[in-house]
Amino acid sequence: MTIPDTLWTWIAALLTLAILSFLYKDNPFYKFAEHLFVGISAGYWVILEYNNSVFPNLIVPIFKEHNYWFIIPGLLGLLFFARFIPKLGFLIFIPIAFYIGGYAGLAIGPSLQARLLKQLQGSMLAPPDFADPGLLVNKLLVLTGILGTMLYFYFSKEHKGVLKAVSNIGIWFIMVGFGAAFGYTVMARASLLIGRIQFLLMDWLHLIR
Amino acid sequence: MKELLVKLGQVDRRYIFLFIAAAVVLPLLFPLNFPTRATPHTRAVFDIIDQIPPDNNPILISFDYGPSIMPECHPMAYAILRHAFARRVKVVGLTLANDAAGLAEEAFRNVAREYGREYGKDYVFLGYKAGGSAVILSIGEDLKKTFPRDFYGKPTAEIPMLAEVHNYNQIPLIIPLTGSATATFWIIYAGTRYRARVADGVTAVMAAELYPYLQTKQLSGMLAGLKGAAEYEHLVEEAGYSRGARRASRGMDALSTMHLVIIGFIILGNIGFFLSRRDAKKGESR
Amino acid sequence: MKRRVPLLICLFSGLFFGIQFFVPHHQVRQVYSNGLRWLIVVAAFTIIMAVGSLIVHHLRRVHRRTKGWGYSLVTLGTLLGMVAAGAATGIRPGSLFNKLFLNVQAPMQATMFGILAFYIASASYRAFRARSKEATLLLLAAIFLMLSAVSFIGYYFPRITTLSEWLLMVPNMAAQRGILFGVYLGTLATSIKIILGIERGWMGGGR
Repeated sequence: MTIPDTLWTWIAALLTLAILSFLYKDNPFYKFAEHLFVGISAGYWVILEYNNSVFPNLIVPIFKEHNYWFIIPGLLGLLFFARFIPKLGFLIFIPIAFYIGGYAGLAIGPSLQARLLKQLQGSMLAPPDFADPGLLVNKLLVLTGILGTMLYFYFSKEHKGVLKAVSNIGIWFIMVGFGAAFGYTVMARASLLIGRIQFLLMDWLHLIR
Repeated sequence: MKELLVKLGQVDRRYIFLFIAAAVVLPLLFPLNFPTRATPHTRAVFDIIDQIPPDNNPILISFDYGPSIMPECHPMAYAILRHAFARRVKVVGLTLANDAAGLAEEAFRNVAREYGREYGKDYVFLGYKAGGSAVILSIGEDLKKTFPRDFYGKPTAEIPMLAEVHNYNQIPLIIPLTGSATATFWIIYAGTRYRARVADGVTAVMAAELYPYLQTKQLSGMLAGLKGAAEYEHLVEEAGYSRGARRASRGMDALSTMHLVIIGFIILGNIGFFLSRRDAKKGESR
Repeated sequence: MKRRVPLLICLFSGLFFGIQFFVPHHQVRQVYSNGLRWLIVVAAFTIIMAVGSLIVHHLRRVHRRTKGWGYSLVTLGTLLGMVAAGAATGIRPGSLFNKLFLNVQAPMQATMFGILAFYIASASYRAFRARSKEATLLLLAAIFLMLSAVSFIGYYFPRITTLSEWLLMVPNMAAQRGILFGVYLGTLATSIKIILGIERGWMGGGR
């Protein structure tokens, strides 16, 4: 390993320890590292957005390909900076309107297909399901769970009688779902810590190969 | 004994931190080499890539993870790239996360060097594009118009590997590696709208949410967290495709001990809670 | 006028992108394809604008000598330094920009999320109590899932893995799907309200 690479590893390790020091209590090393991180991340985003989004999708189409329609999104993008001019601050709503309206419209069709119709299809009982008792029981359980979960979150009517009974069943399914989510969350967070400790022990201190 | 158990239910959190640190550090220093068994969803991803013809249409890997979830997704990237390059399956890479480009490029560079794969012929990295679902939809219309240049600035129209690749019709499998809603965006916008085949590599946090899509086969397979990455590494090594470092597998020992420690603490906490509650009830009844 | 023009733009862009899904005509698809590229460009500017806001915020802190303003100087200095490095050396592997990302930003970002493991362990110990039947069920499901993630338990006791897979594919899947339906219907309603201008939170106002 060349000296400069070793120096970079030491920088990474010391910054890792600075962040970990927060476990004991907040301190100047942690604060310094935190602000360093914010600055570096912001600078990184600017360069990346310019290189990978603005340059190939705006500069090149307008100045090299002479596709002047792309001046419109360029102007829309520049209108964001009207926020910093008090009298023209209202102009920022124009690109936001295009952006939000566009994404809201984009979400309707594909989500309808993927999140509603396909999922409804998957929830329904089909003739082949009746041939396998185990599969049939599972599918009936799933159907019960879906109805119970949806009715639990239905607050337009007071939960009484049949509605209360079904939503109570829904709570049981929701508890299992949340328990599963919690178990997986523990796994996820543990993995992140393990990754950092592996870096410290392997790449920095060379205690493991 | 009872007082001890009640006290153990009220330990200072800095002792808990020490136990957690020990549970992570000790298995890394002294490996336990716990065996791993692949789950059906991980095996499904492996089988799909294993059946893709070599030197043919490329798979698409979307590196939608940043340093914050790198320990879970980066080993997945390495394992999948090793599998693909060992079988001479071509790979197109891109990222929708603005802090992933550097990591993705590093993975491509290192694994390509291991297998002697050539940029432009065996793999292409298109880089980062902001826009999320708009980018996914745009690729379905025209990949090269969405990414007119690759990560290195070369026009994509001039890259030999992409000559016959226009949209999802020429991509047999999409593998987003992510820890965010992007996992479902690929399923919804690429999978359902353009009928592309999608198999996710996600953080463990996301995994539980994706089971509805697995059941409807909108998702063809799934790697879940560090465990999924370790399982895939194991499958790739077992099939003889790789002798590379298995970082996720090494982490599984620590993950296992940490889980056992946390379960132990939860049980201890509850024992202390029940004993205290019983004492409180006895006190009330007097 | 100041509110009407953005609302009209929102309406037309929302209607176009919503309806195009159902229109296979090739000219509509051409306009849609270009429209997507426009959205990508506008999305890029939102991030650049966010960075601009960050710069203004920290400049104000330095100017007013607010408590901790020295740290704001660190932020501004490193931001400018990173932009300068990217502009001067490019973003290729081996460049200063790339090295700063891999050795400064990436480790810190990963560590910030890594310390959550300590807090989740401490929080589980302190707060995860079987106070009721439902809480007990949640606790048992969580413990079961965590046990199945332990390598040797999953390997030597495959029934635990099978049972955890069943838990995930049946009760968990049912709950997740029920929540998914609710989320989708809510998203659909909100999208329509935004397009029609009923929901105006994005303009800083209510109905």
